[in-house]
Amino acid sequence: MVDNFLAGSAALFGDPFTIGIFIFGVIGGMLFGAIPGVSMLTLAAILLPFTASLEPAQGVMLFAVIYCTGTYGGAITAILFNIPGAPENAPTAFDGYPMTRKGQSGKAVGAAVLCSAIGGVSSALIMMAATEPLANWAISNIGPPEIFALVFFNPLLIVLSMFAGIIGGLLAGTLFLNNYRFVATSGQSIGVNYLAAGIAFVPAIMGFFAVSEIFVQAEKKAVGMYKAPKLSLDFPTILELWSHKIAVLRSMLVGFFCGILPGIGATLAAFMGYGEAVRWSKNKDSFGKGNIEGVISSETANNAATGAAMIPLLALGLPGGAMTALMVGVFQMHDLEPGPMVFYNSPDLIWIVFAAMFYANLSILFIGLIETKTILHLLKIPFQFLAPMILLLASIGSYIGRGLVLDVMIMFCTGIMGFLLRRSGYSIPGIVLGIILGKIGEQNFAQGMQMVHYDVLEYLSRPICLLLIIAGFLTLFTGIYKALSYSFKS
Amino acid sequence: MVKNHQKHFVFSFEFNQEIEIYKFGATGWPRVILGLLLLVTLGNFLHLYKKGSEAQQGRVGISDIEEEITYDGIGSIKKLLAILSLPLIFSWSLKPVGFYSATPVFIALTIMLLGEKRIKWILGITLFIYLVLILLFMVILNAPLPQGNVSPFYDFSAFMLTLNTKLHQSLNF
Repeated sequence: MVDNFLAGSAALFGDPFTIGIFIFGVIGGMLFGAIPGVSMLTLAAILLPFTASLEPAQGVMLFAVIYCTGTYGGAITAILFNIPGAPENAPTAFDGYPMTRKGQSGKAVGAAVLCSAIGGVSSALIMMAATEPLANWAISNIGPPEIFALVFFNPLLIVLSMFAGIIGGLLAGTLFLNNYRFVATSGQSIGVNYLAAGIAFVPAIMGFFAVSEIFVQAEKKAVGMYKAPKLSLDFPTILELWSHKIAVLRSMLVGFFCGILPGIGATLAAFMGYGEAVRWSKNKDSFGKGNIEGVISSETANNAATGAAMIPLLALGLPGGAMTALMVGVFQMHDLEPGPMVFYNSPDLIWIVFAAMFYANLSILFIGLIETKTILHLLKIPFQFLAPMILLLASIGSYIGRGLVLDVMIMFCTGIMGFLLRRSGYSIPGIVLGIILGKIGEQNFAQGMQMVHYDVLEYLSRPICLLLIIAGFLTLFTGIYKALSYSFKS
Repeated sequence: MVKNHQKHFVFSFEFNQEIEIYKFGATGWPRVILGLLLLVTLGNFLHLYKKGSEAQQGRVGISDIEEEITYDGIGSIKKLLAILSLPLIFSWSLKPVGFYSATPVFIALTIMLLGEKRIKWILGITLFIYLVLILLFMVILNAPLPQGNVSPFYDFSAFMLTLNTKLHQSLNF
């Protein structure tokens, strides 16, 4: 492995053009990840035709690098402005943004930089060591029934928002989704043709996070209670981060596990990482109010998923998500098929990609730490100048996805809803969880049920499903018991 | 609230669609969620009855309510309503007026509503934000933004796009 890695590194850094592509990927991924409204997928889609003129290894390497750094890029705007660059950065905003409001933006961004790098590097190392056996295990043992069970088990869905929060979110998630049936069917029946395609989750997330935040701050401005977030350049100390080593390790494992699941990747990884951090924390109430462990967990987990997501792609030719699907496009443009044969036919390609992912994650650390101090100064911009910029970026981001003005309207409507819900003490993270995990849950439930022919016993005969469902119910009942006993306690 | 959930639950039967490959149909999942929501709302009532408006233990992301907002007069309420309405009006105007014409007005009005009174700053920042967005999304990314369908706004959008094409041609982009 070490020899192959060194050979891959030499191939990567031995050619100035390849180095140029690598640097372009690192910076492009970070920028597109950080700009709300566009994402690493936008960049990848723009670049796809150009990869035809590159060597296959250069093309795949470019996309892999964008994938690594783009996953990190969205954390910055999530922390500073409550605008997650991508759904996988949403849990980062839960605690990152409250930290910014408390004047701890430097600590939050520093933790995100470091933990993204740790998660990504560790994932790249495991990927190098065990791609083939892990891919075979994941594909033969994990299918839609297990993924639904995993979503059901997610502690955040059950424990955290005892009553209204999460379950309300689940409802919102179901109603707001462009997934299966409800909105599409009701849209047709009430004559709103635009709703026939359902409601996309990007406008809803932008609305609940970015727009509602602007409204909350605007209200404070209107009544003269607005306080600008304090700029802080204090990075977390080594000791501070060391005290969260278990959270980092746990999130690495959770992120890696979620990453190798087909079709799931970094989004579920980030939510699971965050959820497990809350589950094992002694101070659960501090989450959502600026607990650095929330940032650490979600950023470690989502970057740990990037390397893992490459495993089913490279070893079996199965893309796990949109970004890896685009990578299949790069392979096909060069008459190659990703899968087991690539390891034998094009080992150079594989090891250049592995090495590039390793170095891309390392570069998050160096470039991240250098750029952070500059980016943090964005907080100095007065709110009245920042707000229209954020609203417009969110509007464009919502519009671009499907080219519908309706999506912009939906974004502002969900923004107003989010504002009113927050004013009433409801949990926005709960709603966002519902929106994102509701979709994954419903899709996999439907597919899983078809796979087991609607036989619950057959479903539960799958050991992983059984284990997760039992654990989920135990968590659910414990949560309900705790909530009821708290409510009844005088 | 309970009544509302019941209504939605019943409403879901009116447009259910059978799906050949999926036994539970279009509304199976939403009905489960609505049923859960009903239970949860009852739980909320119980909490409200026992603990009043005290925050529920263990919920995340509720730090907002720790800060009590007090309105000192009708002026601030009007201001807030204007701030909430402006984006809706902007989004409604995108179809007839288009992004290129509606955006500068939206930026300037938002800055004003948020308390900026210096005209030079309002105009300068409006122009700056507009140019940044045009540069990023029109020139660099070639993103298809709403062009409007009412003259002269549509003509202005067409003019902007022609400029962009000429710029691309001159730069051999």
